Amino acid sequence: MTMTTRDVTIAVFGSGGDGVVTLGDLLAQAAAREGLHVIKTEAYGPQIRGGESSCAVRVAAEKIFSPGDAVDVLVVFRWADFDRFRGEISVAPDALVLYESNEERPGAVRLGLAGDENLSWIPVPFDELSRASSGAPGSKNVVTLGILGELLGLPSETLKRALARRFGRKKASVLVANEHAFDAGLEFAASRNGALAAKRLEYAPAPPRLLLSGNEAVAIGALHAGCRFFAGYPITPSSEILHFLAEWMPRAGGTVLQTEDELAAIGAVIGGSFAGVKSMTATSGPGLSLMTEMLGLASMAEVPIVIVDVQRGGPSTGNPTKSEQSDLLQCLFGTHGDAPRVVLAGSDVEDCFHATVEAFNIAEEFQVPVLLLSDQAVGQRKETISAEALVHAVRDRITPTAKELEKYERYRDTPNGVSPMSIPGTKKGMYQTNGLEHDAEGRPSSNYLTHETMNAKRYRKMWPIRDRYHGFSRFGPPRADVGVLCWGSSKGPVQEAVAAANARGGNVAAFVPQMLYPFPKRDFEEFLSGVGDLLIVELSYTAQFYKYLRTFLDLPAGRTHVLKRSGGKDLTAAEVAVGIERARALPAREAVAV
Amino acid sequence: MSTSTVAELSTFQPSDYKSDLKPVWCAGCGDFGALASLHRAMAKLQLEPWNTVVVSGIGCSSRLPGYVETFGFNGVHGRALTLASGVKLARPELNVIAVGGDGDGIAIGGNHFLHAARRNLDIAYLMMDNEIYGLTKGQAAPTTPAGDKTKSTYWGNPEPSVDPCELAISFGATWVGRGFSGDPKTLVELMSRAIAHRGFAFLNVMSPCVTWRGDDQFKLLKAKLAFLPPDHDVTDRAAALRHTREKDVMTTGVLYEVRQPSLVERMEEVRNKAREVGEVASTAEILAAFAPAL
Repeated sequence: MTMTTRDVTIAVFGSGGDGVVTLGDLLAQAAAREGLHVIKTEAYGPQIRGGESSCAVRVAAEKIFSPGDAVDVLVVFRWADFDRFRGEISVAPDALVLYESNEERPGAVRLGLAGDENLSWIPVPFDELSRASSGAPGSKNVVTLGILGELLGLPSETLKRALARRFGRKKASVLVANEHAFDAGLEFAASRNGALAAKRLEYAPAPPRLLLSGNEAVAIGALHAGCRFFAGYPITPSSEILHFLAEWMPRAGGTVLQTEDELAAIGAVIGGSFAGVKSMTATSGPGLSLMTEMLGLASMAEVPIVIVDVQRGGPSTGNPTKSEQSDLLQCLFGTHGDAPRVVLAGSDVEDCFHATVEAFNIAEEFQVPVLLLSDQAVGQRKETISAEALVHAVRDRITPTAKELEKYERYRDTPNGVSPMSIPGTKKGMYQTNGLEHDAEGRPSSNYLTHETMNAKRYRKMWPIRDRYHGFSRFGPPRADVGVLCWGSSKGPVQEAVAAANARGGNVAAFVPQMLYPFPKRDFEEFLSGVGDLLIVELSYTAQFYKYLRTFLDLPAGRTHVLKRSGGKDLTAAEVAVGIERARALPAREAVAV
Repeated sequence: MSTSTVAELSTFQPSDYKSDLKPVWCAGCGDFGALASLHRAMAKLQLEPWNTVVVSGIGCSSRLPGYVETFGFNGVHGRALTLASGVKLARPELNVIAVGGDGDGIAIGGNHFLHAARRNLDIAYLMMDNEIYGLTKGQAAPTTPAGDKTKSTYWGNPEPSVDPCELAISFGATWVGRGFSGDPKTLVELMSRAIAHRGFAFLNVMSPCVTWRGDDQFKLLKAKLAFLPPDHDVTDRAAALRHTREKDVMTTGVLYEVRQPSLVERMEEVRNKAREVGEVASTAEILAAFAPAL
């Protein structure tokens, strides 16, 4: 039976070597080329090669904001691999289940479902089709691409173009073998008389969309902002930023240094910026922990730098390939002393671009370190965006005028705390900068008055920063029964849950700050004044965001609810919907015990 | 190296590189001699002060950037070379000099020493070696001789010491020398050669701490002072290593010097390769090249 859909999520599970990730890429690229909206995620075990591996591709005719709640088309090469993701996947009750016909059909419980009466089980001889068509078992993924092409109704030419792009640079026989595998999948699906055409996508082809990951968007944002020096140490899940810039930074005339550790990375970036070149590093939680001492140096010496933290599960080595929002307090408060910094968060792929440019603008204009929080969920997912959206005004640092150079004071106290920064090569602009407390000229001083004055000078910048860059997004009506507050990658599921609730006549709004510190207090309080109950949503076991907000804001007593849990699987709109209903129906309890 | 043109030669006197800040060092500290020699070496090379950056970490000798009239960065403990890497790679035309002590460079900052040398980063690294932690008042350093009694080695230092020059040669430094702050004539020569070297130049400056190593240190080191034999081949790594880990003598001079592509030159090579594929000047150009389907 052929049924059409405008929004479908496909998930594939297999072992490393099955090409699951490649399959996801190919499908996502082809759909993006058709002008469809795509969000693609990957998940795997910690193994370098081999081990379990999965991808999920959500394809829709309209704009989407999250990787999708439930899987509509489940492809399983090996059930044992699927089992490794237990508790992380929701399968839709009416899903199509394509599984390797060599393997036994499992019960519904294994899929996390109560019953299987609405499931369509379709055994597929993936292994056999792969061997017969390409001569090797390794083409299962491309066989599947052929099947999915028929199933979703995507044009073969588009899918084959994606294949050619992927394999065209290898020797000709590789592409030919893959095309045979693709055709075998297509023929298999066609021979099933419509049984495999149950999730036809109904869409009007549109111009190709740009498919980009959050990490790539950060790297492009950095180049856009004028960053020409990057130093970093490899760490999952941020390394794609290093990879992208290793290729593209030299083409833009800049330099990338892979350092010996994260201490060296932040040191080099502070050095590069001191020398007058916009500089950035990128890392994840463990690396940020190592950088923390020199974060304070950038604060103290007022050197503009951008540090990207693509969060993963913590503490310690934690959960390197999975997402979490538990580096927040480290970013806000990490390092000794009173050390001003600005903290921003990117909430989706496009926002990662804008937040990166904004991070540079703030860092350069106000001479502060800016931490940009992303996470595995947004950093490594690929999402279609409009290339035209990647536009953002760029600001530069303030350097001393000729008059100011007559008697140059690097750290002159000013009304907004910003003192013009001379760069090496400036004849009368020489100064010594310091991690030691220092006076207006940069000379070390341990005097109390100097320390108090300079602390005040450094923190005075926070007000103009907040006034100028109070970035946030707001959804839903101005007056609502429930207002949802979240940050970073939680935005997508929240946005979808809010839209769904309002479509059913619910009265829900959401507020998502891009700037976390200094917090856009006025905008938030304005939002708060229009909502009944407040629901804070975050992926942190100890509710770090909630705790942070309480240090700066009076949250409504008896009406503040918290939906929080560990990271390790992406937040879904369904979870948020449950949270909204609870907030509406139940009294608020003491939100956090630890 | 950014130096002045011929017409301006002899424009800069050693005093031009002297800042008006008074050093915090103890009377008799070896670092005074090192500082004065640096002023003279800079004048000898006619370094343009505004195109010169002196960076340091933390320690007695790491206060030095404040006493030199150039751009200066007194950073945090152990990380001078990380700052220097960024300054030099971001602005290769600048003269970059890193200074600091033996604890700063070998203990807490040892990893960066290895990698800056391995990369052949084009800077001069001047290590004022006093065989002790001075600023924290007298604890053992990696350079403190075994058996020596310090504040942290009450029963005598149980650990063997290292020779920074041996490390530098092993790590891949392309210029390695040893000087003595009590022999300014040689030291000025060594400092100016280290700064002029293209690649990673490491100069171990024996700089006695009269407060925590005893006020006879100058005398003891002077007695051990020796010079390289006239037939010493600076390109011979094995020969250079023979003048490290010495007990009864302290051989000064250029132990090792070879010319190899520096990090700045290799990074320029990378940019040239990238330019051949195509320069990208704007975000639109990056996107057009990155996603040709659009």
